[in-house]
Amino acid sequence: MSDLLRGLLKGAVGPTDNDSRFLLDVHSRELPGEDTMRRYAPNDEVDLVVIGAGAGGSVLAQRLARQGWQVVILEAGPFWHPDEDWVSDEAGSHGLYWTQKRIIGGSDPIELGKNNSGRGVGGSMVHYAGYTPRFHPSDFSTMTDDAVGADWPIRYEDIRPHYEQVEAELPVAGQNWPWGHPHKYPFSPHPVSGAASRLWEGARRMGIEMRVGPVGIVNGTFGNRPHCIYRGYCLQGCKVNAKASPYVTHLPDALSHSVEIRANCMASRVEIDQSTGKATGVVYHQEIGGQEVLQRAKFVAVAGYSIETPRLLLNSTSSRFPNGLCNNEDQVGRYIMVQGASQTAGRFPDELRMYKAPPPEISSEQFYETDSSRGFKRGFSIQTVSPLPIGWAEHVLADGHWGRAMREYMRDYNHWATIGVLNELLPQPDNRITIADETDPYGIPIARMDYSLCDNDRANVAYSTKIITDILHAAGSQDVLTIHRYAHLVGGARMGSTPSNSVIDANQRSWAVPNLFIADGSACPTQGSANPALTIMALASRLAQQMASGAAMSDDAVVRAGRGASEPARR
Amino acid sequence: MPDFRKPSHLPNLRSDGQPPHPSWLPRQRVGISPQMIGRYPDFDVMSAVDTWDHATKKVVLARLEPSGPMRFFDTEQEKTLRAFCDVVLAQDSEPRVPVAESIDEKMASGQLDGYQYADMPDDRETWKAVLGGLDQTAGARGGHSFAEATLADQEAIIEDFSTGKLSGGIWDQLDPKRAWSVCMRAVLSGFYSHPWAWNEIGFGGPAYPRGFMRLGPTSTTEPFEKHGSTSEDPADVVKGSHS
Ligand SMILES: Cc1cc2nc3c(=O)[nH]c(=O)nc-3n(C[C@H](O)[C@H](O)[C@H](O)COP(=O)(O)OP(=O)(O)OC[C@H]3O[C@@H](n4cnc5c(N)ncnc54)[C@H](O)[C@@H]3O)c2cc1C
Ligand code: SF4
Repeated sequence: MSDLLRGLLKGAVGPTDNDSRFLLDVHSRELPGEDTMRRYAPNDEVDLVVIGAGAGGSVLAQRLARQGWQVVILEAGPFWHPDEDWVSDEAGSHGLYWTQKRIIGGSDPIELGKNNSGRGVGGSMVHYAGYTPRFHPSDFSTMTDDAVGADWPIRYEDIRPHYEQVEAELPVAGQNWPWGHPHKYPFSPHPVSGAASRLWEGARRMGIEMRVGPVGIVNGTFGNRPHCIYRGYCLQGCKVNAKASPYVTHLPDALSHSVEIRANCMASRVEIDQSTGKATGVVYHQEIGGQEVLQRAKFVAVAGYSIETPRLLLNSTSSRFPNGLCNNEDQVGRYIMVQGASQTAGRFPDELRMYKAPPPEISSEQFYETDSSRGFKRGFSIQTVSPLPIGWAEHVLADGHWGRAMREYMRDYNHWATIGVLNELLPQPDNRITIADETDPYGIPIARMDYSLCDNDRANVAYSTKIITDILHAAGSQDVLTIHRYAHLVGGARMGSTPSNSVIDANQRSWAVPNLFIADGSACPTQGSANPALTIMALASRLAQQMASGAAMSDDAVVRAGRGASEPARR
Repeated sequence: MPDFRKPSHLPNLRSDGQPPHPSWLPRQRVGISPQMIGRYPDFDVMSAVDTWDHATKKVVLARLEPSGPMRFFDTEQEKTLRAFCDVVLAQDSEPRVPVAESIDEKMASGQLDGYQYADMPDDRETWKAVLGGLDQTAGARGGHSFAEATLADQEAIIEDFSTGKLSGGIWDQLDPKRAWSVCMRAVLSGFYSHPWAWNEIGFGGPAYPRGFMRLGPTSTTEPFEKHGSTSEDPADVVKGSHS
């Protein structure tokens, strides 16, 4: 659809080829079809096994099921029943997160847990905030343009139609977007809360342009999905079905097209036929201490999140792959990325009560691109956020307060508004997932994540923190508190133009195993300063198209290399 | 009563970095808040409990139930743990939010956060080491256990703990700054998940299926929420409205 038409028809046309919004029930939050879904026997050779019912895996499964593929999704976590399982409460949402142990190291270890990934049908988007910006065209060629990061083997244009399609499916609400490749959103912007409008005013006074959205939150009529009720618990799972996650946007349609979601099934390795080198299926545990089961399949797609995907590959050892599947070139787990996500909060005379309205409200990508005058490459985005009390207490603690001072700042909660950044931190080979020498309750070796910042990263974080602090001062805040933190993992099994610098090719097919694909955020070679979920979904949507047409199976070296650095356009 | 539109009570803006003594705060008039102080004396989040969905109600109301004896920490550790929680949260009198109990429950049931620093033990061992370390430091400084030390001594030890300045003995087995973050994560989650703490800070609490309608800027207060106390003299306000 043309951008003009998208603008004119705002909110009036739904996506084609995805009926999820009609399949949902108005009165209950269950994912319809759990009891009646098609079930396959492990011995059936299905067309595709997907590991992980998250952002990437769900979109891939839904798309291919529509093409008639028989698909089984193995999901380590539970099949959620939101009316019972999800609560309107911070501490009570602990069960949504991946809380099995991971080891963190490096000179800047990244705290994981509630801040990074989810476990259960719907994946991390069940408790993501809801920002859904696109990457910029420049994100796909940072090596050519700026001599940092990496070039993707594809370009923005390759996933642009998929961005548009996924935006219609979520659906995304926001103002017309002036940055990157300018575009419009299918739904109008949400109203802005009093807290966020203070921050907006500050930005305006500094000459910084901010816009409402983009968020994957229903603003209007969208099938059977209700309008947002502005209760502010997006990071605890939306009990309303207003916020997009695969649980409401893709899995209902997937189930109605004969996908089986096998929940509480933890994949332990991809099985390889040692004579042909092809994947024959996926081995998983149905319960702790139980028997291993092999689900046979013609194709395997791994979509377990940037930590679990490399972990699974590294744990899939065999005589062909003694150091882990696809790891003979020592690339698996490398170039793992997080975004800097510092936040500062400002104090205002009035009661703002920032806990109302979704945490994601307004954002700016004015600082997204490289500007040599800033002294570092690439950039950052600015977004409003709004911590609930426990999150706010962690913010106060990070500024150095405890005891009476902590209580005082906490009592002042209703007077504060919070703004954050997302820094594009650069991919580095030693920022890496490896295997630790401990095992999880299933007996599967756990992951270790090492992370260290580089000088460009530190300069970016320092510069951007100053900008948001200046916004607060311009807005008239009376006091400022800052927390430095990180969010959003991607990378670890990246796409590239040759096996020596990547794990998968331009169609996300592994270089080493002909019928193995990576379908989650692990595929990203760079991360920009946009939140990743929309891009992960758009990439999976493109992957599905390439798999369905057979293009993804091409062994033509030029096709596989895509538009690498030395190859500006395809022949 | 100070003017809450002004920020003069905020620690960063005061010469000693500490807030005024809480005796200037209004007493809670409805419901319960920790130590019965707060900024919203007429707000009780429990007044909205009938509007919460049943799943949320179950989880939140369970926090108000009396807790059983400690399962994870032994009696010596329990004393130190209680003293630690009281000092880092400035809970110096009843009613106290039962934070020590919530930490014990978390550790006993193995409800951890999903990551462990490569140079640190498991969170459960970290807790035990920290409690031992606090007693060790208190003993070295004043010959008492941490629980028996004076408040000033306890606060001085915590200040050093929070800034990574404790060393020797047990402290050399872990990274104290990281241990501080491990412990405080559990402490803060235990305290600020309790409805009494929500009363103290004026937080509207669970909001499903009701939702929030007053997003601002005109009004930010739902009908069941109450404004914070102000410096206005109610008598003047009444007089003013008649003149
Ligand atoms: C608090 C928070 C806020 C966020 N906010 C935003 C935001 O505003 N905007 C945004 O774009 N992004 C946001 N994100 C990030 C976003 O949610 C993730 O980047 C995205 O969901 C990742 O998609 P994925 O497909 O890579 O993995 P996931 O969505 O995490 O899916 C992976 C799934 O695989 C399963 N799995 C893993 N290993 C196995 C195994 N061995 N066997 C079986 N199943 C397995 C997991 O249980 C999980 O369900 C946020 C994340 C968090 C934690
Ligand atoms: S604020 Fe809106 S989108 Fe977020 S959880 Fe509540 S209803 Fe869902």
